[in-house]
Amino acid sequence: MEVLGGLGNGFAVALQPINLMWCFVGCFLGTIVGILPGLGPAATIALLLPLTYGMDPTGGIIMLSGIYFGAKYGGSTTSILLNIPGEASSVVTCLDGHQMARNGRAGAALGIAAIASFIAGTFGIVALTVMAPPIAAFALRFSSPEYFALMVLGLSLVVVLGGNSLMKALLSLLVGLWLTSIGTDLFTSQSRFTFGSSFLISGIDFMIIAIGVFAIAGVLESIKAREENTALPVPGTLRELLPSRAELKACRFAFANGSIVGFLVGVLPGAGSAIASFIAYGIEKSVSKHPEKFGTGVPEGVAAPEGANNADSGGALVPLLTLGIPGGGTTAILLSALVLWGVKPGPLMMIESPQVFWGLVASLYIGNLMLLVLNLPLVPLFAQILRIPLYVLFPIIFGLSLVGAYSVSDNVMNLVLLAGFGLVGYVMAKLDFPTAPLILGFVLGDAMERAVRQSLTMSQGDPAILVERPISAVMLTLAALILLTPPAMSAWRRHTKHQKGSPS
Amino acid sequence: MKRRHLIATGATLALGGAMPARAQAGWVPTRPIEIVAHNGPGSGPDVFARALVSTLEQERLNPVRMQVANRVGGGGATAMNYIMDKRGDPHVLGVWTSLWLSLPLVQAEARALTTDMTAITRIAIEPALLVVRTESPHRTLADLIAAARARPGALRQSGGSPTARDNLVRQLLMVSTGTRWSFISFPGGGERLSALLGGHVDLMIAEPSEAGEQVRAGRLRVLAQVTEARLPGFPDVPTLREAGFPITDVVQARGLVAPPGIPAEAVAYYQGLFQRMSQSATWQKYLEDNQFQGAWLSAADTATFFVAYQDTLRGILQEAGVRVVR
Repeated sequence: MEVLGGLGNGFAVALQPINLMWCFVGCFLGTIVGILPGLGPAATIALLLPLTYGMDPTGGIIMLSGIYFGAKYGGSTTSILLNIPGEASSVVTCLDGHQMARNGRAGAALGIAAIASFIAGTFGIVALTVMAPPIAAFALRFSSPEYFALMVLGLSLVVVLGGNSLMKALLSLLVGLWLTSIGTDLFTSQSRFTFGSSFLISGIDFMIIAIGVFAIAGVLESIKAREENTALPVPGTLRELLPSRAELKACRFAFANGSIVGFLVGVLPGAGSAIASFIAYGIEKSVSKHPEKFGTGVPEGVAAPEGANNADSGGALVPLLTLGIPGGGTTAILLSALVLWGVKPGPLMMIESPQVFWGLVASLYIGNLMLLVLNLPLVPLFAQILRIPLYVLFPIIFGLSLVGAYSVSDNVMNLVLLAGFGLVGYVMAKLDFPTAPLILGFVLGDAMERAVRQSLTMSQGDPAILVERPISAVMLTLAALILLTPPAMSAWRRHTKHQKGSPS
Repeated sequence: MKRRHLIATGATLALGGAMPARAQAGWVPTRPIEIVAHNGPGSGPDVFARALVSTLEQERLNPVRMQVANRVGGGGATAMNYIMDKRGDPHVLGVWTSLWLSLPLVQAEARALTTDMTAITRIAIEPALLVVRTESPHRTLADLIAAARARPGALRQSGGSPTARDNLVRQLLMVSTGTRWSFISFPGGGERLSALLGGHVDLMIAEPSEAGEQVRAGRLRVLAQVTEARLPGFPDVPTLREAGFPITDVVQARGLVAPPGIPAEAVAYYQGLFQRMSQSATWQKYLEDNQFQGAWLSAADTATFFVAYQDTLRGILQEAGVRVVR
């Protein structure tokens, strides 16, 4: 049992008081960073990196990955309470999380987010512990055609995510696809839709669109509605602040779904945690017995995406630690941190620096538990924020949104865009257009376009490459099933109704 | 313990103010100097800028406090515009990379041209390695080129944007040998490397820091070094020239620029400052750790380098079918 021996040694390292302290510092900082919109884990780790040079590499990586995991935990807080996504990965959590808060279940939503994060986060770490090398080998079989199929699978979820009108959902999706094409085209270095503005050369940041469409538009809508009550309902007793037994029971499948989807998507270097949380949410809704209730505040609509974005962290560490391949911004900085400490991340790291590898893995178990203990007691406290009268709360939401959008790239133009997307979100809500497909299109469109063009370059223009590889064929079949199931179901229902209704 | 003093920014930053400036004719900085990086914290240019600042501190060369400012956006254009707008201000410097020279060639929106700024120095060159999978049948670069000749367009190379060094080297190799293979752009280094390791592409031009560990683990094989002279870490691998493919050297370099219209005395001052820094032990250690090559150039030579590099680049890009706007 090589794994058990390694893990045992890892716990011996991670349980040293100094490393426990670094783990706590990282988790604590991460939680704060997660709560603050705009400041992401990648930038925080980069800024703190100079402080860790004097540290032992094990302690350093333990603290930095504490920040990484903590930020994912904390990201849901503002999503649920204020409808401001704290991180890109917690955008989907706004959909049902904030509705739960409006229904007086803010505490329950925060509690479910914490529990889902703990369960799925632990799953991700266990999977990282026991099957990192084979999973990493599997991830290498994924290339552009497979990514294309994955993105198609994600986009097919529009039929579940959209509201009543499929046509409106598709239009919203198209706008998202267009927005994501703004900026420099990677393949030709040419600008698209920049209208001569150098500001748009790097495209529009996802966070600006998400904050505008959710937080700003949400406030505008509430003001328009001239709500009678001056504050949102917050239950008084501690018992009512925590998730009820029925709510937890409703999330059973969501915990498993979020864990598995999050981990698998996390392992792929070309996907991100936003994609993982969208897919988990879509799956949750499509298998639900009451899909029509999604978006009105169902607990499983919080549990699935929150679980997925935490299991994603464990997944993302697989290629980093076994192959030395960073999957995204945060893992890329963890990689450069390892290099600066003199650890050589790569295929040989597990063999040459076992104390760093196993120490980190063990500390992730501890950190995850720490985060749960840190976050659960804060739930009743955070829920009190909603007692603030709306005429005070709304300016706070505006202020936090502005800070979040500005800090994306320290540019005032971001605020202009933010206001614009706030209005877009407001108009869409008024006209009953769902905004989730717009965000979905924006997140997946860019990656899908790249995957198509990469695949066609690989095959010298033969489109068969997109469907003939086994992994992509399976995923495309799934996408087709998702797309065809609702019309088929309704046709079948109409058919049976017709039979029942007709005189025999 | 050497890495402890490598970059200890923050804490020692405040001490810098009291350092006596070495006797310089004419100009010395009188307020804190802002060093602009075009990407966010943790990115290549940012880490480089912070390494410069901490080296100057450790070597006690910095006359005033130096502060790294991240001016992110526009794929680099925001930082370049900022430098342009600081015309005549000698207390602002920018870290330039090859991107600062390629961006104005292909982006019509770019209004700041690096060639219009005041060149200060070139400091470092990032070498590259041409790598294939260990399972690849190609043992040498000549094998690979022969395979490309036998099946035109069939080989695949993973890389970044078409204006990046990996594509420029490919274009030069293809033109000089009359062969053709495809170039597949990936936004992240991790994806490029995964595509190669997974066998979805045949070759990649990678930085030693990216590919070194994979080579050591026996997963990748280096066919040639994209350098003038062999790197100490790869003494047995030929350079492109030694492998029989003497193409123009496309260097990926980094250095410093200042806004246009600053006094000549300030240029002389910075040139001397960074020359001393480049020669310091701390800086040599930094270069070695990151597998960069020292490549200091004077202000005048850096200005010449900018023009020559852009001319080479323009020619290669036009040949490759990329729309060049300047």
